[in-house]
Amino acid sequence: MIELQAVSKQFVSGRGHISALSGISFSVGKGQGVILAGRSGSGKTTLLNCIGTLDTPDSGFILYNGINICALNSQKRELFRRHEVGFVFQASNLLPWLTVAENLQLSLELNNIRGNEQRRRIGALLDIFGLSGYEKAMPVELSAGESQRIAFARGIAHEPAILLADEPTASLDSSNGKQLIELMFSLCRNNGTTLIIATHDQDLMAMADTVIALKDGKMS
Amino acid sequence: MILSFMIISSVGALIFLSALAVGTNDAMIRNSTGLYSGHIVGSGITEKEVPLLQVPGVKQVLFRQHQPVLLGSSDSLEPIVLTGVDPAREKEATAFWKKTVKGSYPAQGEETIFLSQETAKRLNVDVGKTVNLISRQGQPLKTLTVSGIYKTGITYLDQGVAFCSAQAMPAGEKSFSAAVFLQADAPLEDIAAQYRTLMPATAFSTWTEFMPDLKQLIDLDYFCMAIVVLLVFAIVSVGISCTFLIFTLKSLREHGIMKAMGFMSGDTALLLLTQIGLLTISAAAIGTLAGALIVGVFSNVGIDIGAYTSHNQYFAVSGILYPRLTGLALFASPFVAVIFSLMAAVWPIAYILRKNPADILRSV
Repeated sequence: MIELQAVSKQFVSGRGHISALSGISFSVGKGQGVILAGRSGSGKTTLLNCIGTLDTPDSGFILYNGINICALNSQKRELFRRHEVGFVFQASNLLPWLTVAENLQLSLELNNIRGNEQRRRIGALLDIFGLSGYEKAMPVELSAGESQRIAFARGIAHEPAILLADEPTASLDSSNGKQLIELMFSLCRNNGTTLIIATHDQDLMAMADTVIALKDGKMS
Repeated sequence: MILSFMIISSVGALIFLSALAVGTNDAMIRNSTGLYSGHIVGSGITEKEVPLLQVPGVKQVLFRQHQPVLLGSSDSLEPIVLTGVDPAREKEATAFWKKTVKGSYPAQGEETIFLSQETAKRLNVDVGKTVNLISRQGQPLKTLTVSGIYKTGITYLDQGVAFCSAQAMPAGEKSFSAAVFLQADAPLEDIAAQYRTLMPATAFSTWTEFMPDLKQLIDLDYFCMAIVVLLVFAIVSVGISCTFLIFTLKSLREHGIMKAMGFMSGDTALLLLTQIGLLTISAAAIGTLAGALIVGVFSNVGIDIGAYTSHNQYFAVSGILYPRLTGLALFASPFVAVIFSLMAAVWPIAYILRKNPADILRSV
């Protein structure tokens, strides 16, 4: 389903050229759970960004169902993200001016899921994540754990083919983080969603189908 | 808040300034036409035709007789055009009698004459003295007593003319004119066109034709006001753009998240345009209301600028301005504010659109 071939990415900074990714190649099947493991600065986020078309590799390519998504124009990349990908970031994932329900609604609206189906999905997701009754709450009123659960709910609301999560448990305590990741793996397996999580949390590795370790932008 | 305040204050201030410009122009027209001439002058008219001039929108019509004569005193002889008027109606419709500096305006049926200060000086006569009326051919016509002396500061009234009641006019060949005074907001050109159709043999001219200098001054006033409005908003829009960029940068991460969710460039541009559009429209509406309220207050009490206009011929009667709102004065500023604000949104929008979502999420 997703195949990376010799993906490389460099950044230019005051310190010169920094190789963020170098010759990364692997493939992930539909519904698989993958953890990208590595220390801070190992290239996990850059790799997630490239898979999610938020960034473009300097060389190599990424195939999604046989299509090279690195070669898509900006409009097609935007549509790819909208329909096929869900994102969960480390923190501050929610749009602060929208309520919890509206944050979920936005993702569904972008994918033309409206009316009863929209209401059904929002209700079901809030139920699954134990946040029923939070529909009208504003993000600022939520704890870090609640915010992150809503972010996950928004990421899978439109049932994307790929869910990309960048250090999703970084702002949570280990117990809450583990529970959340377990729930995510379970939901994604049931939905056939490919889950790729970037994390340095060793406790989570056992949950993944595949662990890809990164060090200084290379697979180790 | 800063953005709203900038728009509210500039729209409010410019509406007041625009209304003040309209009020200034009104005052100049009111002073210039109300002193003596009226809004429309019909030359070569007969007394029988005067009632035809009383059409809707006309407040007053004054019939005047003109006769070129020589005014003689013991010291000198002065060629003038003597104008015979109905003193009571003239006092009712014009402010000319208020320009009396000595003596009084002629009364109905009195054998008196009203001289300008310059003419009185040249003839070396004063109130109560007599002047002889002599035809241009040198024949004595009659003698009139000086009832009063006036000074307007306007050349065509201060030089070469004198006034008396119609009954005091000497015998001889005369020409006739009618001065038409219109009600406020009456359509000047329409009424003049109506007269020209009704009386093709009479020459009618509007104040814009017989006072082209005033017309130009008013046009210049509007032109300057338009420049002021554009300049103010050009400057304000730079401020709006900077403030809106700061506002946008504060929610940069959210824009990054929206891009990651698949917001298209058009969606982002529309969102930002809507934000600034709604903000500007509401601020412009409040500014319009504030400006209209301020104009409302001053349009009743007026603003006395008499100290600065006492020697100005366009303010010969009164130096009080009454700001007046017209459609243009009311809506031009908010309209320009909205247009310039939308233009000011281009920079922040371009900034967000150019940014790679990964760079945004990495940097915030």
